[in-house]
Amino acid sequence: MDSMYYGDTLIVDLDSGTTEEVDFVEADEAGPGLAAGLALYEKYKDADPIIFGSGLFTGTPVPAACLGFVLGRSPVTDELAVAPLNLFAGSEMKLSGFSMVVVKGTSAKPAYLWLHDGVADVHDASAFAGMDTWETTDAIRREMGESMIQVISIGPAGEAGSKLAAFSINYWGSGDTAAIGALMGSRNLKAVALRGLGMLDADDPEEFYTRSLELFAFARKDRGFAALCAALGAGDLDKWLEPIAHRARACFACPSACFPFVKYNEAPTVMESSDVEEPGMLVTSPSAALWLMDGGWEPEAASRALEAMAREGLDMVRGARELAGKPLTDLGQITRAVKALEGFAEAAWPSGEPAPAGLFGAWTPPLADADAWKLANMAGYVLGVCPTYLMLSEFDLEALAGLCRPATGVRLEIGGLADMFG
Amino acid sequence: MRGRLRKAAAHPSYRRCAAAFGILKPRVAVYTGEGASHSWIWFCDLLERLCLFDIGFITDSDILGGALRDFDVLLIGGGDTYAMAGSMGASGAREIEDFVRSGGQYHGSCAGAYLVLSEVDLEPFAPFSLIEGDMLNVMREPPAPLCLEHKYLAPYGSGWVFHPVYGEVELAAGPAARGLDVFEANGPIAAPLFGGPVLSVADESCVVADYTGATDRAAFLWPRDEAERLIKGKQAFVVRRLGDGTASASGPHLEHPLFPESNALLASVLVKHWNRCSRIAGVAPALNRGPSSLSASLAPTKPDILTLRGSDPKTCIQEIKCQVSNARIVGFGLEKTPVTWKIGVKVWEPEKIRMFLDVAWDRLPFLESQAGSGLLQAAGLEELASGYAGVTGLAKTLRIEVESGRDSQAEAQSLLTRLKELTANFLALYFELRLQEQAGRARLKTGDGAGWQAG
Repeated sequence: MDSMYYGDTLIVDLDSGTTEEVDFVEADEAGPGLAAGLALYEKYKDADPIIFGSGLFTGTPVPAACLGFVLGRSPVTDELAVAPLNLFAGSEMKLSGFSMVVVKGTSAKPAYLWLHDGVADVHDASAFAGMDTWETTDAIRREMGESMIQVISIGPAGEAGSKLAAFSINYWGSGDTAAIGALMGSRNLKAVALRGLGMLDADDPEEFYTRSLELFAFARKDRGFAALCAALGAGDLDKWLEPIAHRARACFACPSACFPFVKYNEAPTVMESSDVEEPGMLVTSPSAALWLMDGGWEPEAASRALEAMAREGLDMVRGARELAGKPLTDLGQITRAVKALEGFAEAAWPSGEPAPAGLFGAWTPPLADADAWKLANMAGYVLGVCPTYLMLSEFDLEALAGLCRPATGVRLEIGGLADMFG
Repeated sequence: MRGRLRKAAAHPSYRRCAAAFGILKPRVAVYTGEGASHSWIWFCDLLERLCLFDIGFITDSDILGGALRDFDVLLIGGGDTYAMAGSMGASGAREIEDFVRSGGQYHGSCAGAYLVLSEVDLEPFAPFSLIEGDMLNVMREPPAPLCLEHKYLAPYGSGWVFHPVYGEVELAAGPAARGLDVFEANGPIAAPLFGGPVLSVADESCVVADYTGATDRAAFLWPRDEAERLIKGKQAFVVRRLGDGTASASGPHLEHPLFPESNALLASVLVKHWNRCSRIAGVAPALNRGPSSLSASLAPTKPDILTLRGSDPKTCIQEIKCQVSNARIVGFGLEKTPVTWKIGVKVWEPEKIRMFLDVAWDRLPFLESQAGSGLLQAAGLEELASGYAGVTGLAKTLRIEVESGRDSQAEAQSLLTRLKELTANFLALYFELRLQEQAGRARLKTGDGAGWQAG
């Protein structure tokens, strides 16, 4: 199944700082996307690798085909867990030339992986040690000379091995609720930077493109955040953020903009570019925002707390849950409170409850019954399509799976998804 | 764009012309010296599709040094005609004319066409006079353009050369196209006009193609009807016999890779010239005259410092790939910025950076396939890797200057000049390999030594 897989599987050995491309023929048996990722983990499990991957349609014009993933053994649950690569990181992962990257070993000093156009380089990141994720993103983009490089990085929390650590995607918090950020820190992997100018080949490009556009034509196009809030039973969350909301932003190829950008360092009504370099924050976790709203926080203070968590490289869902009952307004206090969350190095779950187990974690609260949500996650991670969008849009999974043949020349039966996950 | 490029590359006209060139095998010089822009790389794309790999890249100083005697064809593309003519001067003009009169073939597109018009008697153009003709797109005070202001004018004496239409135009056959099958099947053919001349020649028998109008894929800097009136029925492509050789000039870039019919038209004229040469005067392709004197000067002129992780060809190619990718990424980033640079009279946009880099990027898989063949030497590759590492550094510096809002003219000029040199060096190595591979295949076909290796 060569089509849609832009390049080969990459093995990165952080012990030696070397990389090697391999043919992972077992992927044909295992299935695409996360199914291949799980098979790769199994193949290299002695090294307990971290696997960065993308789904079958990631980076294509299929609606919401933004999803990649990071797979590893969660330091919180000691089980395999997956975290989403959304925004533009998943699509850039695919376009960087590698559909799967297996990271083994531990670097002797902080390192970052630079994946670009089918080339993989392990760079020294000693100069970035201690930097927060915003500083790391800026530093890598400055070093490589391009502002569209997608940076998956950890902050001080990940470096310290906090079990509340999460990786961030550029400046914004990710859906890592399994402390994959801490796992990266334990391997001295400060960041993975991605950029590719290549293109994906489909088995039947014209049919694939035409049918993708047809799906787009029927795709639900609305303010994704409002729909998401409604589905969460928290319609007032949208209204709560409204006074500081500036715009809504979607991930790659998604017709529904789920993430509100809020401004608190300048008026949210300012539409033109101004001298304010950091006007606000992209709220990428409605769950985290919901915890803070219910905990009595004001939207501006809550957004500042989310920003601080994204900078530190902290899991926003668990962090917000911990901060929920202690609303703060002073910026200094907020910063200190967020910094203190890093101290949860031992706790499995800050509120003393058992951590949500299972592969898919608590990125977004279930938007349907458990079985439907699990199916959306399985389909999403295999196909590279956002499971939240699949649920909100009530997408026809059969129609989506039907794109597999023009994409790859191989048929995919939705009924066979569960088998891919064992 | 890529899909269209792929379709164009599959056009049957290339096979036809390639078959003819397979017998004739001329040695082709592509001008990359002072004033040459990026469009000479389109000649390389065309020559490669015609399986003509015996290509050298020559500069103004090479021409002045007599390098043309090693070649059969000289191709000069777009750019800054003032810089071309000024750098070569009267001596260069004499070298080119002697080259043609002794059986060589000259083709100039765009700037290369302006360069050789006899009626352009202004210095420094006066000594260059291969085509008896003039250009019609000259005016003392042209009206204001409707769009593309930066593409509209170039100074010319006390007036201006102006461009009323920019983009796809259509061409119809002239008397000199007789015997060429390119026009017969499909009527007018499309070609890109990017600032080239609207020609006027007195001798109608020289006209290969006239402009018939422009298509919806063109930008009109004048009202469309006025622009089309200016070009319609005027000459787009002319050819003239001169001594034992031929000189031709085209306003449009017939060599552009997205226009297979116009590629076929240019190739057909080249083939026709070589058929004539083989009948008269006994002009033999330069291939039979020994190796090119240019080969020693093909190494990069300013190696940058780079410590390679190994010195075997495979590692070196990987390093080139890494550096070309890094530079392309920076170059692509610059394309988002509203900046242009004026070098001489030529306006350069940031996308030209990636056009140069794509030349290497698209051909690296072939080099990778040859890494273990014994044909590639690490030394030459190391110099290329160093060169591209330097280009990445220059591109990053340029980007910093652009983003800071400072004047980036010097950095852009430095980068684009280096890219031009490096691209020519890369292509010289690439075509040398393709030539050896082609010769090896031919030897295998004739049973002359199975398992050939270059010595």
